[in-house]
Amino acid sequence: MLYFDNAATTIPSQTALEKADIFNSEKFFNPSALYLGGLNCSKEIKLAKENILRNLRATNHEVIFTSCGSESDNMAIFCAVKRGTFLTTKGEHSAVYKSFLELKNRGLSVEFIDLNADGTVNEEKLYDYVKNNKVDFVSIVHVNNETGGINDVNKIAKTLKSINKSIVFHADGVQAYGKIPFTLSQDIDLYSISAHKINALKGVGALIKRKNLNISPLIFGGGQENGLRSGTENVFGIKVFDFAGQEKYQNLNENYKKAQLHKSLFVNGLNKDLFVFISNDNCSPYILTISAKGLRGEVVMHALENQNVIVGNGSACSSKNRFSRVIENCGYNKDILDGVIRISFSTETTIAECKQAVEIINNTVQKLKGILK
Amino acid sequence: MKNAIIIRYCEIHLKGKNRGFFEKMLKENIKNSLKEFKFTFTTMHSRYLIEDYDPLDYELITAKLHKIAGVHTYSNALVVENEFEKIVEASSILLKDKVGTFKVNTNRADKTFTPNSMETSMLLGGRMLELYGKNISVDVKNPDFTLYVDIREDGKTFVYTDVVNCLSGMPVGSAGKGLLLISGGIDSPVAGYMMCKRGMKLNCLHFHSFPYTGEAAKEKVIELTKKVGEYNGGINLYVVSFTHIQEAIHEHCPEEFMITIMRRFMMRIAERLAIQQGDQAIITGESLGQVASQTIESITSSNSVVTMPMLRPLIAFDKLDIIDIAKKIDTYETSILPYEDCCTVFLPKYPAIKPNLERVKRAESKLDVEGLIEEAFKKVEKYTF
Repeated sequence: MLYFDNAATTIPSQTALEKADIFNSEKFFNPSALYLGGLNCSKEIKLAKENILRNLRATNHEVIFTSCGSESDNMAIFCAVKRGTFLTTKGEHSAVYKSFLELKNRGLSVEFIDLNADGTVNEEKLYDYVKNNKVDFVSIVHVNNETGGINDVNKIAKTLKSINKSIVFHADGVQAYGKIPFTLSQDIDLYSISAHKINALKGVGALIKRKNLNISPLIFGGGQENGLRSGTENVFGIKVFDFAGQEKYQNLNENYKKAQLHKSLFVNGLNKDLFVFISNDNCSPYILTISAKGLRGEVVMHALENQNVIVGNGSACSSKNRFSRVIENCGYNKDILDGVIRISFSTETTIAECKQAVEIINNTVQKLKGILK
Repeated sequence: MKNAIIIRYCEIHLKGKNRGFFEKMLKENIKNSLKEFKFTFTTMHSRYLIEDYDPLDYELITAKLHKIAGVHTYSNALVVENEFEKIVEASSILLKDKVGTFKVNTNRADKTFTPNSMETSMLLGGRMLELYGKNISVDVKNPDFTLYVDIREDGKTFVYTDVVNCLSGMPVGSAGKGLLLISGGIDSPVAGYMMCKRGMKLNCLHFHSFPYTGEAAKEKVIELTKKVGEYNGGINLYVVSFTHIQEAIHEHCPEEFMITIMRRFMMRIAERLAIQQGDQAIITGESLGQVASQTIESITSSNSVVTMPMLRPLIAFDKLDIIDIAKKIDTYETSILPYEDCCTVFLPKYPAIKPNLERVKRAESKLDVEGLIEEAFKKVEKYTF
């Protein structure tokens, strides 16, 4: 199987799983317990947090472990600012987008800023809005999960705070952590990450919070994570996340270059007559979104699946809501929106796999176009 | 004092000399549906009794009863000996939390029981008023609820208040066998449910066109089939790959007839499969004029390739009414899951709404109809639920 849907999830690192296995046997204790076994588990979690902060070169932040990236996004959006105007972009993951719709339902004022063609936020419009309105909270995706477009969140946060220093700024870093070389600056108040996108397990995420920012919990209970996220910690999952993170950050720049090479193999190899490229060179090298214009993404995906090539498609098709909301907001027409597929890479991807996949994708789409005329 | 569930049927009462056939079938269907539970099952005159079950299973058992065609109503009764004081005791348990007006309805099959039924109702009503007079009062003309007392000849009395309506209809299997064409949409599961309700035992047939439709679309159909199967006492699903047929039609026939000719192929395959397994009819979820393939001209065109009866229980139903039933039988939420189905992929921009049969036949003559059907039959998958 040639797996190119790594933006959806990645295969768990066997090394990380093996290293963490002890937390499923000998070190099974509840980290809240006061006896030595529990205490040791709690130390391991602390270590994992320090490693995450080191990976992000963060100096004044703390880590709250959650159950997923979506929970981290929800916590950032619902728990830091309780009233006022909330601002985001039209290119957010559903975890942010739907949370903003919920804020709107609850009677708060929300605004969605337009995108550029590659899925990044139109910064001019963003700053204009913040200059002309009193904004309290801003959430901007670091790497757009559908196009790979990278927002310079440090610069954006800094600029926003120079306009209005009381803004609380959140960035969804789920597609960036472990992939994009980045320093988490103090202008970013909240930053969401997820484990399973970097060869760790599903069921673990984290919200990274600037130390002096006060937020309330989303989940109440036993008072774990400094009272901010109750619930017994998933020690095994957290440690797998920790070890997988270390693997990524040891070779972050090499991995980045490798991903750039993989992406370029597709960009240069895919038949330009068959595809429109939505991602561009400035986008994350880990994501390449293209459109087999005139075909349906889901059909292309299944046809490739039949050839053992796994790719993602923007969103599930339905007659009412067939198009990806994000790509639509990048300004593409229906013909292109219909055929969107997402090819995404991981550190496990090889050059040979890329070359083979390019050939299969070209042939399959060519054939489908013939059949579907 | 014991608990018992009394199950009643209705339309079977209208049957004459063959009534035993229907009664037996309903009895078997009930037992079969409840086979995962422990209980004793007895037949009373026109009624069935479920006793000695684990009280914790009550909700599960009654949920099953709601899905058995032929079951008209059921009641959760207390069973006591034919003794007035015991009846009072059972009644006092049932009426403990009741509020409103009531009457007592006594049926005394055991003529040795004294007092007689009128007196029993009166005396029992009086005793209940003594106990719960604060919350309840008597209204024999238009009561909020009725306390039923059924004194049987075998020495048992059933006391109950609620009579819960179920599906009614006829026992599944009493009206032959049919093959349901199930698509993944809203209509076909409803059509299947309605035929089950009239006593037809169903098999299902689905056309799959990988890679144009994915595994998720098939899983959705499997989910829907299982839901229909709950009314059918288990069910078989046959999945036929339709990809090559669709590609052949798309390549050789005019675009406007794509759907018309597809449907003719579906009917031919359905009839052949139905004959193979002894099904006596083909059932579809068609509703007149709903889409281009469901106009009378389109139906004529697809109907003309088969000789077996085609049953269309939804033919005169409005979409909203169909949706109501789909919600009731819990298929709606699954049906609206957004996956490609085999009809949407090759959808022409302008399908023929009133296809001319002669032109359709001419267009179809370019295809190796028999060959394509033979090929499709080689790859039939069967699932049993």
